[in-house]
Amino acid sequence: MKELRTVLALVAREKKDIWFSIVFGVLAGLTTVGLFGASGYLISKAALAPPLYTLIIVIAMVKLFGFTRALGRYVERLFSHRATFTILSHIRTRFFELLEPEVPHIFRKYRSGDLLARVIGDVESLQNFFLRVYYPPIVLLIVFLSTIIFTAFFSWMLALLFFLGLVIVGVVIPFIATLKQRKSQYSVREGRGILSTKLAEWLYGFRDLKIYQKQEETEAELRESMEKYEAAHERQQLQMAGGEGWNLLASLTATWAVVLVSVWQIGAGELDGIFLAMFIMISLMVFEDAGPMANVPRHLEDNRNAAERLFSLPGRTGRHSGDVSLESSGPLSFSMENVTYSFPESLTPALQDATISFPAGSKTAIVGASGSGKSTIQQLLLSMDVPEAGFIKVQGEDMQRVSQESVWKEVNAILQESHFFYGTVRDNLLLADKDADDRKMQEVLERVKLPHLSPEHPVEEKGGNLSGGEKQRLALARVYLKPARTWILDEPFSSVDALTESELMQDFWETAAQDTVILISHNLKGLEQMDNIVVVEQGQVIEKGSYEELMERKGYFYRMKQLENTLIG
Amino acid sequence: MKEWNLLLKKEWKKVSVIILAALLLTLSIIGQGYLFVTIVDRVFIEGGGLSAVLVPLTLLLGVLWLRTGVSTAIARTGVRLASGAKRMMRERLLHKISGASVGESGQVEAGRRVSVFMDAVEETDSYFSGYVPQVIQSLIVPFFLFITIAMIHLNSAFIILATSPFIPLFYIIIGMKTKEKSEEKVEEMNALSGKFLDILQGLTTLKLFRKAKVQKETIETSSLRFRDATMEVLKTAFVSSLMLELISMLSIGLIALEIALQLIIFENMNFFTAFFILILAPEFYNYLKQLGFAFHTGRTSMGAASKVFEEINKPEDEMQWGEKELRLSRPPHITLRNVTYRYGEDGFHTGPVSVDLPPGKNLAIAGRTGSGKSTLLHLISGLMPVKEGTIEVEEEDLHEYREDEWMNHVSYISQDPYIFSGTLEENIIIGAGRRPAAGEVETALEKAGLYELTQRLERGMDTLLGEGGRGLSGGEKQRLALARAFLKDPYIVLLDEPTTGLDLETERILSESLTELSQQATMITVAHRLHTIRESDEILFLEDGRVAGQGTHEELFGTVDEYRRMTTASRGVEVQ
Repeated sequence: MKELRTVLALVAREKKDIWFSIVFGVLAGLTTVGLFGASGYLISKAALAPPLYTLIIVIAMVKLFGFTRALGRYVERLFSHRATFTILSHIRTRFFELLEPEVPHIFRKYRSGDLLARVIGDVESLQNFFLRVYYPPIVLLIVFLSTIIFTAFFSWMLALLFFLGLVIVGVVIPFIATLKQRKSQYSVREGRGILSTKLAEWLYGFRDLKIYQKQEETEAELRESMEKYEAAHERQQLQMAGGEGWNLLASLTATWAVVLVSVWQIGAGELDGIFLAMFIMISLMVFEDAGPMANVPRHLEDNRNAAERLFSLPGRTGRHSGDVSLESSGPLSFSMENVTYSFPESLTPALQDATISFPAGSKTAIVGASGSGKSTIQQLLLSMDVPEAGFIKVQGEDMQRVSQESVWKEVNAILQESHFFYGTVRDNLLLADKDADDRKMQEVLERVKLPHLSPEHPVEEKGGNLSGGEKQRLALARVYLKPARTWILDEPFSSVDALTESELMQDFWETAAQDTVILISHNLKGLEQMDNIVVVEQGQVIEKGSYEELMERKGYFYRMKQLENTLIG
Repeated sequence: MKEWNLLLKKEWKKVSVIILAALLLTLSIIGQGYLFVTIVDRVFIEGGGLSAVLVPLTLLLGVLWLRTGVSTAIARTGVRLASGAKRMMRERLLHKISGASVGESGQVEAGRRVSVFMDAVEETDSYFSGYVPQVIQSLIVPFFLFITIAMIHLNSAFIILATSPFIPLFYIIIGMKTKEKSEEKVEEMNALSGKFLDILQGLTTLKLFRKAKVQKETIETSSLRFRDATMEVLKTAFVSSLMLELISMLSIGLIALEIALQLIIFENMNFFTAFFILILAPEFYNYLKQLGFAFHTGRTSMGAASKVFEEINKPEDEMQWGEKELRLSRPPHITLRNVTYRYGEDGFHTGPVSVDLPPGKNLAIAGRTGSGKSTLLHLISGLMPVKEGTIEVEEEDLHEYREDEWMNHVSYISQDPYIFSGTLEENIIIGAGRRPAAGEVETALEKAGLYELTQRLERGMDTLLGEGGRGLSGGEKQRLALARAFLKDPYIVLLDEPTTGLDLETERILSESLTELSQQATMITVAHRLHTIRESDEILFLEDGRVAGQGTHEELFGTVDEYRRMTTASRGVEVQ
């Protein structure tokens, strides 16, 4: 419930729009009831052949009600939708505020793709909260109460009937509908998740399934979960239609009871017959908007779950940045002492008992096959997570005590997957240097061999319109604009052709001649000038030394080099 | 939209139920009005008591319940119609995909298909559950109400006839306006709504550049701009319903005025008729108006539906298989005669390739990235259809055999074998195509160098892999693929050799395993290692899809310049 309260607080910030939505909603509701009540009265009055002017007054009123109703609905819709989208904006920013301090280590815990897709879905589903759960019941209640008060002037029995009707359609039926819903175990949401996982597996593993002749078998399984999901979805929709049906039944029966009681009261002389038509019309209209009430609890439940998933997410990692600031603005030194690190689900550690030192201004290469633990070293040196055992030091200071911000300030990092934002090349480069002008950008683009890109060049979502090699070069351009003197690069040129790579590397070594460089690579080329080469295998540092030393030793590195020489095409 | 109507035709039973229910609905609306009016007339005009209206009161309850019943029936049938249609669409998508060949751009394609299958199909829901029932009701109910009104009082019918065309006219005009507006805005709106996800995805990058905190404002401004853009589109929609409301109100007003004149000034109409008309007229306009609202949801569904059908109707290579059995006691004799593949009409071309592979021979396919090596492997494996030429297996066209008869003899060891969610054991057994005998799995594990790993794992062979399970490193995946192959014991091994170096242990296992597998199988390898090429009996050297050289290593080395360049200036040596 705590999480829903967060949402409620965010909703409450839009007081003005909420007020307008409710006021105009009530206005529209009341004028609808008024409009039809008045026309019922009008027709009865007309039957008694009254003087023309009274009729004219009533007709004018009916017209006025009609216009007010239409306008009221219009204004209500405008404000309620405006409020909804503003609230959505509040939810997003609030969530961002909570999530921001937890990044990037939260992404080490959860797979970021799944996590973010879920977040987006949950935020979107909270759209319904204001629009379906929050204000419509308030409007309905006010319209009903006003009608009841109005009716009480004529007959308290009828007023009581309306009240009873309100309780049934607003409380009893929604309550029963919720109980019914709770009974169905298999949730549509879950079913959808299972189906889409199965489908993805079937599609991504298509080739292997074909070869192993398992495709039909898996397809049958997929069909089964599809059937299950469709059935659950259908059941849910039928339940919702059923809920509205019960509400309609209650509403119409209530109207019938109104007729019955009115006729009886007229017979007893307690009510003037001229009002009979009026009350029939009032009753028909006042219950008209009550149908959707049957499903309010269901939406509430959905929103509560979404809010819970969303706002309970941050705050789980418990990782806090230190507060010691790094003084240096020169090349940093790092050291790892007996560092061990494991991923949450993995049984074997990603890094085990690793001891490496990276003196200021030194050039270190970390090599090894994919999955050997190279990237984990980068993550740890960037203070993105803390080791299970051992120490990581930066400038001789324990990494956990140093503020993450100050490490990031001093380091130029290229991650294995660089993110590019939707917009232009300029937008993406401004991240690194907000004062860079077009000339400077063009210069750096040429330097990374991307002369065909200009700052205006559009960048699609996740850099979708750029090739792998272009993305890597753009990532390099981005760090070139940042004036740090420590470089931690994870396979920066794996998608760049060999010729361009050697040109880029040459230029890079000139730039970083005096700097600390940590280069992660499974390419063993051009490592001759490195001060230190660290060979990682299955999370363990198995060899360390300069190129000559390692080649002379004829150990693992030597054999890797041999193998690489035989790779072609 | 032909398929659309076909879908409805197939579901004619449900559509008929809705039509029947709509007819009953009309009846109950008229009946309800009639009874209300009768009761008021008897009580108010004639001064009757409860006893005078007992019959109509009882009937009224019945009619009101009938109305509830048929309304609910319409809603429920709509739901059923929608889930039936969605099922059918998903079935057809599945059928389509399962028959398709394996394309090159697997990942992107798969992602897109997931989104069509899950989201686009779901979006068509409101068409069947909302739009179709609404259209049926809006055609039937107003029509019969109009006839009834015409029978009671012709003048009112004339007013209706004159005013009601404005309603469809209006929503056509406004519908077009909204469409223009939303098309104009759609790109901006997509960009703005994607901004939040974009920032969350790039948050690590932003942090490294120390630009994360300021993104709060970016999220806020883009969300608010999204709101404003959406509101602009919504506003036109709201204005349209406002206008519809006003039109119908004016029309009802006209009817009321005419009735009032007849009733009071000319005194040639009785209360009963007047009230009856006044009760029926709003119902008439109401159903017309609702059609306009339904229109809006109907159109978005149409967009989604055209996406679905585009996918279903996309011309795609389908694999053709025959009925012949393939009994083998040694590796088959495989012959390729002018085998060619083309992407699309004049797309990238692979072939023609002709090569003769006697039982047990090894073929290596070499060439630069994008030269068509994988395509050729897919063609030989029977995963993609040959466009021209033939692949002969034991002197018979490959596609004359039954699919499983062929696949039972094939192992395909890819660079990135798919790991299914399940246990390690299940992931290996999947390769066998049968229930392996006791000890077989262990032997396969041993040969593939995975035995030690299973010993280290707490749950051994029952360790969960894939979705939500343990991840495997590149080397482990490769070994898993080998284990699958060992278990299958195939006569044909297709291998897509890893382009990059694996860890040395896996490299050793890989080369030993292949030697063992090749002793009793024909090996066809997309080769990236010099020794693999050297040791094969025949090499196909591809350049831009065509065969640039064919023969042994020595032959090619002497005659094909590009081949010589590639095998000497391999990656490890500086390219200058």
